[in-house]
Amino acid sequence: MAKKMVFIDTSLCTGCKACSVACKAWNDLPAEKTRRISSYQTQADFTPTTYTYVRFKEEYYDNKMHFNMLKLQCFHCDDPACMKACSSDAIYKTESGYTLVDRDKCIGCGYCVANCPWGVPKIDEATNKMYKCNGCIDRVENGMKPACAQVCQTGAIQFGDRDELMPKAQARVAELQLTNPKAHLYGDKLMGGTTYVYLLQDRPDAYGLPLNPTSPISLTLWKDIVHPLGGIAIGASAAAITVGVIANLLRGNYANRAKNIAESHDEGGM
Amino acid sequence: MAKEVYRFSAGERFVHWCHGIAFLLLLFTGLGVLVIAFQPAMNIFGGIQVSRNIHRVVAVLFTLGMLVGFIGKGQGARQMRRWFKDVVNFRKADLAHAKNFGIEFFGGHKPFPPQGKFNGGEKLNSMFTILGTLGIVISGYIMWFASSMPAVVVQWAYPIHAACALFMAALLIAHLYLGVLHPDSNQALKGIFTGWVPAKFAYEHYEKWYNEEAKETIRE
Repeated sequence: MAKKMVFIDTSLCTGCKACSVACKAWNDLPAEKTRRISSYQTQADFTPTTYTYVRFKEEYYDNKMHFNMLKLQCFHCDDPACMKACSSDAIYKTESGYTLVDRDKCIGCGYCVANCPWGVPKIDEATNKMYKCNGCIDRVENGMKPACAQVCQTGAIQFGDRDELMPKAQARVAELQLTNPKAHLYGDKLMGGTTYVYLLQDRPDAYGLPLNPTSPISLTLWKDIVHPLGGIAIGASAAAITVGVIANLLRGNYANRAKNIAESHDEGGM
Repeated sequence: MAKEVYRFSAGERFVHWCHGIAFLLLLFTGLGVLVIAFQPAMNIFGGIQVSRNIHRVVAVLFTLGMLVGFIGKGQGARQMRRWFKDVVNFRKADLAHAKNFGIEFFGGHKPFPPQGKFNGGEKLNSMFTILGTLGIVISGYIMWFASSMPAVVVQWAYPIHAACALFMAALLIAHLYLGVLHPDSNQALKGIFTGWVPAKFAYEHYEKWYNEEAKETIRE
């Protein structure tokens, strides 16, 4: 299946939050008790039952407050840190570009949680399983838009084949740059290229996004160096003791030991 | 019966076995998460979720067993503190012994300077164990309480925990060999159960300690 892409054009977003409601409806997720955390935001973070929400960052431009609105969900990285960190091979990539979790394999260790640069995966403590946006894989692989894109009234969430949608996104950036030089794409080159790509109208941190999200160095050290070296150390130790037993046998040390002890008994010790 | 000298107090033996048994349980349950192929083995305890909980409970015992051993004025606690002071004090004579480690390991023998209560090799093993234990305990609690820790701290706890676990497992294999299978050094095995070791063995391996202290405890 062709590689898919979701293009989130923040210049068209009105912050209606219909995407987060549609996500709950399609994925059959329960509503949660929310509280107001800023003047217009009620959802602080992802939860095991909230795969997407809108962040309203209040930024001041020319002394006027402006909502930098950002619909957040899993970015579906091409080279996901969560997948590398997973202890149980539970996270996998689809050909269409989605990062999915097999909850039969997931044990809830939380290694993905700590290593995702955007803090997307969440563990349900009751079931010990990880939950996050699945990109509405059941819809997109059956010729439908993801629920959030389907419901979006302003066209801020567009869905299509990556080959077709990426040039459109780039054209839109070029169009906006005529009046706003800060306009740029976010995600197209990050973490191997993300399936969800944003058009931002200001620096990423003005939206509460990390400037340069990467797979942690500690993750590379852990999986590519510590694990193989640790295995080698254990193997070397096991090999050394095998050689040690054989060497002692060949040198006759086991037989000598029995003799020595018998002698020392005869002598009454020292 | 051969003459014996007193080597390990009850406190030292308690801490050793607390540490050893807990480590084996932690290693076994930990491998269930570290190595995917090992996951089915967790069914022995009733599945991966049960073994993950056992890992946490045993981790607390591992930590407490170790700490409790050092506290108080009893003989055991004094001997534990002495062990710590001894093993971090690594001198020329210790190095001379440790250099011969490879030869002795494979059943050879080369003379070494008289050793104190803990010889050079044992001091190295002890120091590795102390460092590994500190690393694995600290990183382990960070991983346990990951949700209240900064992400970067948790991220670094993973490679540290795995490195300490795998390195200590490699060390344990060699330790078991020297304690159980090695025809010369396994004479010490009785000491970690009863506290007493053969006097001849003590003299040959810890001459300085034998002359200064152990001799006084000699019994038939």
